[in-house]
Amino acid sequence: MRSRGHTVELTRPNPHPPPLPYEGRGDPAGSRQAMPLHVLTRGTEPAQDREPNTPRPMNRNTPKNFIVRNVFLCAAAILITSCGTATFTKTGSDATIESLRNFELAFIDEFAVPGKKFNAAAFNAKVNEGNAKFQQAIADEKFTARRPVLVDLKGQFDADAAHLRSKASRGKITPALATEMKKDVNKIYDHALGRQT
Amino acid sequence: MPSDGKPKRRKSSRKKSELDSALDQVGDETVAASMKEFQELLAQAKGDTAEQIRQNAEELERRLVLLKNGEIDKEDFDFFVENQKRDLRVFIDSQPAQSQERAEKLTLHILEIAVTKVVPVLIAMI
Repeated sequence: MRSRGHTVELTRPNPHPPPLPYEGRGDPAGSRQAMPLHVLTRGTEPAQDREPNTPRPMNRNTPKNFIVRNVFLCAAAILITSCGTATFTKTGSDATIESLRNFELAFIDEFAVPGKKFNAAAFNAKVNEGNAKFQQAIADEKFTARRPVLVDLKGQFDADAAHLRSKASRGKITPALATEMKKDVNKIYDHALGRQT
Repeated sequence: MPSDGKPKRRKSSRKKSELDSALDQVGDETVAASMKEFQELLAQAKGDTAEQIRQNAEELERRLVLLKNGEIDKEDFDFFVENQKRDLRVFIDSQPAQSQERAEKLTLHILEIAVTKVVPVLIAMI
């Protein structure tokens, strides 16, 4: 049947009704009713403007939904991974701070001994070792918010070393001095680790 | 913010500490008034709800007693006060603006009075 520029509408039952239900997008009426049959001829609507007379196999938003879902999953994965990394970094940082605390307490135990002859070479060697440890800890600290804390701890170590040198070199160490110094060291390290003492 | 709460002052029923007993012996009226002010501030700080204010007051009192008993000297005492100040500055900065003045009065101000007024009195007693 050639009919230029016209659409001949015939009425007949749809021989291929859509499967029901089709993700909620099928014709809920069942499409068993008679529906107009559009016979397309040249000069009628352009192909892209035609109304499809069968349900679309895929919602036009589906690709977009896939992208959104994948982006969300990627973001969630990155978030979970970064949290894990931060935890590990902080745990590693805590271990470093504990190691520095132990070093400083051992340093006080070694040199804040009443009546012990002051050994300047041994003292200087230990101070140099401590300086290297603190500098290494500051350089290695990945958790940038912790760097000022480590710098403060280094300041405490410097102050302790200067006071101990001054007292020990004059033989003026008392048991109370050693005890109080260690209390201060423990307190400042507890605060650095965010613990209430 | 703990330091906002009202301090738990134990005024008259407060048991006299070793430090109180020593400071009560001061005869000079002007010095005695300063000692009284210090004792009241220290008692207020020791009863504060903020852990760090309490801890600072207790440390200060313990070290003043060590100084009075000759177990540490003035150099040691000054060294410990500097340690306390360093630690307290971080604490005060972390407090809300409206609490900072009070926190400072009960920490740094007490340390200042201790160094300038109390320590000379205690050293004179040794």
